[in-house]
Amino acid sequence: MLRMRSFLPPLLFTLAYAVVSLGVTNSYYQLILTLVPVWAVFGLSWNLLSGYTGLISFGHAAFFGIGAYATALGQIYFDISPWLLIPIAAVLGGIAGLLIGFPTFRLQGHYFALAMLAYPLAILYVFEWLGFQEVTLPIKRDAPIAYMQFADPHLYTLLGLALMLSTIVLTQIIERSRFGMALLAIKQNEAAAEAAGINTLAWKLRAITLSGAIAAAIGGFYAQVLLVVTPASVFGMLVSAQALTVAMFGGVGTVWGPVIGSVILIPLAEILHAEAGARIPGIQGVIFGIAIVCVILLAPEGLFWKLRDLLRKRNAKATASDTVATVAANVTTLRPASPRPATGEVVLEVRNLSRSFGGLKAVQDVSFKLHKNEILGIIGPNGAGKTTLFNLLNGFLKPSQGEVLIGGRDMSGQRPHVICEAGIGRTFQVMRPFLRMSILDNVVVGAYVRARTDDQARQFAADAVARVGLSAVANRVAGELSTKELRLMELARAIAGQPRILLLDETLAGLGHGEADEVVAVIQQLARDGMTIAIIEHTMQAMVRLVDRFLVLDHGAVITEGLPEVVTRDSRVVEAYLGKKWAGHAAN
Amino acid sequence: MTAKSKITISRRTLLAGASGTLIASRAWAQQPAEVKVGLLVPISGLYARPGTVMREGAEMAIDHINAQGGVKALGGAKLKLVVLDSGDTTEKAKNAAQRMVAQETDLVAASGAYLSSFTLAVTEVTERANLPMLTLSYSDLITERGFKYVFQTAATAGSQAKQALPQLIKLAETASGKRPKTVAILTDNTGASIASAKAMREGLLAENQLQLIVDETFTPPLADATSLVQKIRSAKPDLLFFLPTVISDAKLLLEKMNEFGLGQGKVPTISFGIAIAEPDMLQTVSPELLQGVLTCVASWGAKGHEALIAELKTRYKEPWMTQNAISTYGDMWVIKDALEKAGKADRVAVGEALRTMDGGPSKYYPLGEIKFDEKGRRVGAGMTIVQWQTGVPVTVFPPELALAKPFWPKS
Repeated sequence: MLRMRSFLPPLLFTLAYAVVSLGVTNSYYQLILTLVPVWAVFGLSWNLLSGYTGLISFGHAAFFGIGAYATALGQIYFDISPWLLIPIAAVLGGIAGLLIGFPTFRLQGHYFALAMLAYPLAILYVFEWLGFQEVTLPIKRDAPIAYMQFADPHLYTLLGLALMLSTIVLTQIIERSRFGMALLAIKQNEAAAEAAGINTLAWKLRAITLSGAIAAAIGGFYAQVLLVVTPASVFGMLVSAQALTVAMFGGVGTVWGPVIGSVILIPLAEILHAEAGARIPGIQGVIFGIAIVCVILLAPEGLFWKLRDLLRKRNAKATASDTVATVAANVTTLRPASPRPATGEVVLEVRNLSRSFGGLKAVQDVSFKLHKNEILGIIGPNGAGKTTLFNLLNGFLKPSQGEVLIGGRDMSGQRPHVICEAGIGRTFQVMRPFLRMSILDNVVVGAYVRARTDDQARQFAADAVARVGLSAVANRVAGELSTKELRLMELARAIAGQPRILLLDETLAGLGHGEADEVVAVIQQLARDGMTIAIIEHTMQAMVRLVDRFLVLDHGAVITEGLPEVVTRDSRVVEAYLGKKWAGHAAN
Repeated sequence: MTAKSKITISRRTLLAGASGTLIASRAWAQQPAEVKVGLLVPISGLYARPGTVMREGAEMAIDHINAQGGVKALGGAKLKLVVLDSGDTTEKAKNAAQRMVAQETDLVAASGAYLSSFTLAVTEVTERANLPMLTLSYSDLITERGFKYVFQTAATAGSQAKQALPQLIKLAETASGKRPKTVAILTDNTGASIASAKAMREGLLAENQLQLIVDETFTPPLADATSLVQKIRSAKPDLLFFLPTVISDAKLLLEKMNEFGLGQGKVPTISFGIAIAEPDMLQTVSPELLQGVLTCVASWGAKGHEALIAELKTRYKEPWMTQNAISTYGDMWVIKDALEKAGKADRVAVGEALRTMDGGPSKYYPLGEIKFDEKGRRVGAGMTIVQWQTGVPVTVFPPELALAKPFWPKS
């Protein structure tokens, strides 16, 4: 139901656009109306990769140009109709995406962006070298419709609109599926995404393949509109820039961004060119540039987000009085931990685990066992190697030595998403929530590792949100939450994947006293429900009441292990935390 | 596009309203005694300079035609120039063409659009609107599409190379006493250069008993010309064909040639196209380095154009008359003649007149006649060879148009 409703706005928009276009008789305005959906689709294809994953591509012209040349050369040399060539172009664009993505995804951030810049420029020279400086589509006077050569320019606009509508709907489907969630997770924190069971390389390759296919298809259509293809007009720097411009102007990471950007910028550029350019040649570029600079300054994330934030703020003001209602966590209140015998089945066993960075032995020769249904507290002073140990357990780091047995199987050195699938979930010291998304959407990301369908993932996520007591606020955006709620949300994301073992990294950090108690209660409830938990924490106070057993690390090695009351009195532990001087005091 | 139906006044409605009134006022201003001619050239962006020169040529022609009584067949109707900016990309050029045919519905013909890739895109639009288009662009492709409303006034790229080669050899032979045998080609990979080089490689050189011993293609802009020049130095060709499009490449190579002791005619250098003879060359290259360099162009200020060259100098401060000025000047006269023949200010009639006209020997384009074949190519279109002589590129070939005698650089 929800899904059907979300397709309505693009459909209405497309229909309205079509009606306007049919009313325009001036062929020049009609051409502009045709170019708007062309650049919108190109922006959408860029958005699919760069908007959702955050990996900026400066080289989308590579796909656009491949599509344009495939469509042009296919007609010239093989006399194939563009009706067939545009789908072929899409396939070629997809293949190009895969070929380009595979080596380039080894790079990240700016390096990825710059490497992408190279592809269209390199291909441009190849096409020049091949002698395709100027390619014109053969005119087909006898079968114009079969060769997509319409006498009525309205038809080009309608065709462009059809392409735009399908791209919007496709993007919307992706946005709400596990595909879109995976891409968003990659954008926020690729490492965290891996930890949540997302095979990031596979999803990125899927994204660039699809993005390349769409870009190539619209490039083919563009060739059909322009009728002349030159390397500069389809592989040029300005073409890649066009995708960025419309998407960034309108809003990155949303289906409406490129559409808004294109609807405003393309006609604006043309009007300026036609009206101002005739009087002062070149002024159109200046005005256009200033307009873009202003938007970047005033709405750095694009118009869509700016408008949405403004609208939300206004709505929030109007309904502020309603939302004051308390959002108390509906979990059982804190009770002192009843000791659980540490004798259950061993679910995680670490044997002689070591990892060094150069000369620094961050973790050395650590061995311990985690029994089913217990809460193990891992403590130690700063730099003791606690987080490194977690990173070794969930696959961010490969151990130099030793084994990690999950359910009896050695999983050391596996990729994080594989280990996540094996049943280990984790949270992070530094939270990386998706601020614009609702709590439920944030949590869904973590559910896909177990869920087979999108509906099942939503179900798992809703369950997880309920277990941490956030059901009442599940539909609020993460940006409005308190630190405690964010911590609980992170917890929900980790348990949405239904792990058997949960690694919690400083889940109580930054919380006030009362708040910490609430979170502790949630964790205890999880343990009661059968979860096995390892938790890193600095604050002893809360930990003593929470955990069944302590593992104490210092300088990367295990000092001691045992029941809380025993460990806290151990002089070695006090020494590690407070220094030699206090060890004596503590003994008294 | 009516602004009435909208209640709120946005910027777009204002603009729409404004353009609406503009169109209306145009309609009011139109009198039967005025005939509109289009000029679609780049006047902004990378190619603004040549586009501006084309406009200067067109303006001069329009003034001359009107001063001499306008179009007599239309009762002395005056011509009016409508200039549209083709911008610096193929897409902008095509958009401008669409704007021209949609909004300037009373144009009878037009001229444009400088780069052949622009002309290719623009004529796709003008052809469908039955608007006759005269062009100086000389890509063979332009008139190979079976279009009826495009007229190429210059010899095509392939034909230019074909005409130039025997002349150059003859020139070398008479000046130096021996026939050149070996040649080198250094070309960039832009459309026009590739077309000329291709014609030479595929037969023209062999026809003229020339042996190609160095053949290098580069991508503009060059960062360093050393390796190219070293190849020339070790091969010692009798002639060097150098085909740059970007002025900085021309400068870089000429300077490097000089540095290696090959400059100033030691290896006679022949170019194709206008880049090496643009006034802007003198801003970066000294006249001594350019002395003797030859280039083959579609058209140039020549014998019989002295008054025009002088007028261009005083009116627009142009140092000499390039193909862009003289050709566009000629285009306006051809359109005027076609109007005389058609007897009405109608684009289809003007197109028909252009196809069937026989205007006798050409005055402003080199050689041939004012007559177009079935493809739209000017019959007998010749080309000009221009040589840098003491800081000015002057026409040295064909003899009937030459303003100076060519000299062969002494080796």
